[in-house]
Amino acid sequence: MPRWWLWAMGGLFATWLWAVPFVPWWVALGSGLCAMLTLTVLAFYARQHSNQDDISAVLPPSEDESQEVFEQVDALMSHSKDIEHIPQVEEVLESMAQDNQRRRLDDLMRRWVDVAQRYSEAALVLRREIYSVIKQTEQAANTIASSFEAVINKATIQARQAMELLEGTQGATSDDGTPQSLKDFIQVSDERLNKMADEVVRVADLSVNMVRELDGVQTRTQAIDGFLLDVEKLADQTSLLALNADIEAARVGEHGRGFSVVAQEVRRLSQRSHEFSDRIRQHLKEVRSGLSRTYGNMRTLSAADMEHALTIKEDVISLTRSLEGKNREVAETVSRINEISKEIAQDVRNVVISLQFHDITSQKLSGMLEPMDELRRTLYHLMQETVSLDKNLLKNLPKNERWLSRLQEETLPAPEIEPPKEPARKESTPEPPRLREATDNGPAVELF
Amino acid sequence: MATILTVDDTASMRQMISFTLNSVGHEVLQASDGREALNILQNKKVDLVITDVNMPNMDGITFVKSLRELNDYKFTPILMLTTESQDTKRQQGKVAGATGWIVKPFNPEQLLTVVKKVLG
Repeated sequence: MPRWWLWAMGGLFATWLWAVPFVPWWVALGSGLCAMLTLTVLAFYARQHSNQDDISAVLPPSEDESQEVFEQVDALMSHSKDIEHIPQVEEVLESMAQDNQRRRLDDLMRRWVDVAQRYSEAALVLRREIYSVIKQTEQAANTIASSFEAVINKATIQARQAMELLEGTQGATSDDGTPQSLKDFIQVSDERLNKMADEVVRVADLSVNMVRELDGVQTRTQAIDGFLLDVEKLADQTSLLALNADIEAARVGEHGRGFSVVAQEVRRLSQRSHEFSDRIRQHLKEVRSGLSRTYGNMRTLSAADMEHALTIKEDVISLTRSLEGKNREVAETVSRINEISKEIAQDVRNVVISLQFHDITSQKLSGMLEPMDELRRTLYHLMQETVSLDKNLLKNLPKNERWLSRLQEETLPAPEIEPPKEPARKESTPEPPRLREATDNGPAVELF
Repeated sequence: MATILTVDDTASMRQMISFTLNSVGHEVLQASDGREALNILQNKKVDLVITDVNMPNMDGITFVKSLRELNDYKFTPILMLTTESQDTKRQQGKVAGATGWIVKPFNPEQLLTVVKKVLG
């Protein structure tokens, strides 16, 4: 089609150019503005019509093509004598609607079978995973239980030996009186050391007494010295008397000779008495000297004994106090061990309760499989019926035989895994180690 | 001290029961199901049986019935130790001849008290 608006725009512009030299300036300006306005309108119109021309360029048919189509229809119409029955329009529409419905049903069926296939595969994976979890937790629980038992047994032996060792320090003596415990050892040692200290003190006291006795003996020896002087005086007087008697006998003459002999004998006795007195004094001197030495030794000894005895006694008391302190510490340790043993017993109880939850959770998981397997079983029978009705139904589904066989697998137990046990209980599981005292349906313990 | 047979298909449960009973000096035998338990009891006389209910091969209720048919075990105490707590199951156990019913998880002190009581 001719683009007339372009020609119109050009003509208008040329007319304005031609008129400009012949009209006043204000007429030329006014006509120029009008011409520009008109040109803008025409340009907008031209752009719109240009888009329509682009669309119309891709749209068939042209007049020639339409002519070809009419010729083909005429050729087909020339063979119309070969068709025996031409259905009515209503029949054709009804048939098309039925075909459409069947195709939709087939499509729905395929989608349904596809969903069933996906479910069966997911259910099998889930089933294997659940069994795997049960198996792994069972192994872990068994290992924990064995280790726990071993640890507790060793801890029990350890505690028992520690208690035996510590209780030994608190026990009794043996039959022969030998101390068997630290406590008895302290007691026996204390008694014996005290006894020994007392003995030493007693010996020291005796020494003091002996020194005192020696003092008395020395005083008495001095008295003996006095007695000896008296004896010597008596001997001197006797000797003088014998001399006088001898003089008197000589004056008498022959008749006094006998008397003279007696006087000489008396003098001789007096001399012997002197000699005897000297010897006694000599012995007495030696005795006194010995007593004096003994006295000195005894004083030294008694002072040392007393000092030593007091030191020993203080040491014994100090040692006993120290041992008693140790013994108290041992008793406190025994007490602490007893408390720890009670705490361990409580912990053991909690662990024993907690380890049982593996059994309960395993049964709950196994119980979850029951409804799932039931659904798979139902699905399997339903699909068998469906497939027997229409073999072509599953033609377009990939792996159709495989998924059907998978549905069948539910009859086989999982490899090396125990079959599911009892179904899970309805009530919720309490958190370990808290123990449920009574269930929803009765007490935790009941004797019939 | 008594000889006690514990029947449970879960190994850790058997361990916990044995551990608890051994701690007070009882001798404990173990079986994983009713059938194995019956085989053990043919050769050994026990003073008490503690059994689970749901087990493979032979369940606890059937096991108790079978045990009560044996002359040696007509009056032996049998405790059911199970997760089952429904009254119907309890009644089944009672009818089968069980002496008592303990719901898992058991408290060790509680179990020892019950065992002491049923052993007289």
